Amino acid sequence: MKPIDPQFFTQATASLNPQQTQQNQVTASDVQQGFANELKNAINKVNSAQQASNQQTNALVNGEADNLHNVMIAAEKASVTLQTATEMQNKAVDAYNKVMRMQL
Amino acid sequence: MNLFGQTISNLEQGLNYSSVKNQTIGNNIANVDTPGYKAKDVSFKDHLNAASFDARQTNQRHISFSGQEPSFNISARQDATYNHNGNSVDIDKEMSELAKNQMYYQALTERINGKFSSIKTAVGGR
Amino acid sequence: MSIFDGLNANASALTANRFKMDVVSSNIANANTTRAEQNEDGEWVPYRRKIVSQESRGASFDSFLQKSLGRSDNPGQGVRINSVEEDQSPFKQVYQPSHPDANEDGYVQMPNVDPLEEMLELMSTSRSYEANVTALNASKGMMMKALEIGR
Repeated sequence: MKPIDPQFFTQATASLNPQQTQQNQVTASDVQQGFANELKNAINKVNSAQQASNQQTNALVNGEADNLHNVMIAAEKASVTLQTATEMQNKAVDAYNKVMRMQL
Repeated sequence: MNLFGQTISNLEQGLNYSSVKNQTIGNNIANVDTPGYKAKDVSFKDHLNAASFDARQTNQRHISFSGQEPSFNISARQDATYNHNGNSVDIDKEMSELAKNQMYYQALTERINGKFSSIKTAVGGR
Repeated sequence: MSIFDGLNANASALTANRFKMDVVSSNIANANTTRAEQNEDGEWVPYRRKIVSQESRGASFDSFLQKSLGRSDNPGQGVRINSVEEDQSPFKQVYQPSHPDANEDGYVQMPNVDPLEEMLELMSTSRSYEANVTALNASKGMMMKALEIGR
């Protein structure tokens, strides 16, 4: 039977050191900032996707489009991006409502 | 509040053009053996960019040019060949123009449906 | 370049084939015409067989530019009729002394149209027309499918 290494206990208790746990903690403002950034990114993506799709559609109307499938794919990308952003917004609003309804 | 942007109005113009072109092609096909008939084609008449072109009105009673919608010019087809009775309708060209125009119309209809449903998604939220 | 380039190419071929058919029909119809036109001496000359030559339509400035830049060439824009020329092979000499156009030896100059050759040309033109219609329908089918993306 192998003797227990005394270093083992030191290392184990060191991970429970309160100083270290504080560094790993995530604050509420970090979470808020993260989600706000995600929402901003999503809206930017929606805008650029919509613009790209509009460009392709205008080219189609003027007879300058290269390929019909590219126009349809760009349109579908814009539509899916918009729906994703809308869903994210819905989820954010739902989460807010849930928090506000909490009885404290 | 402007719900419908430039793209949707472009699509509307394109659909108008396609509809007029369909009538013109149908008329050409109907007159495929009429003596002296010249095949007709539709083109945008001097497509002025309505947003950027605004006439300077020196007198208030002058009519402003802005907001003028591009209209269509129906004229004889340029590159037509004439057969012995003066008829210039090439039935193959007309049939292929018909197929192309149908495709164009359906593509534009698909796109405008897509734009409207996007607007509804954005307005509806959930 | 537009989405309809493929359709345009096939449509140009349909027009060219119809034109060739017209020429073949004219050749067959005039296979026995001994008095087609008058030459300078006022004599009647028989009908000369007409030959159609066609060329590819892709030789535009854009395709030369693309080739010289080392990029791949565009697919081309179909076909066009180059010229309609008269076949310069000699007329057929048929011995028919009772014919009003017979010369002193009793020979009549008949058009240099060979009906069998014209029939071959007719069949090949007809098949080519059908093939182009099939190709055009295939292009149209592909575009209809493209419209269903995301539906």
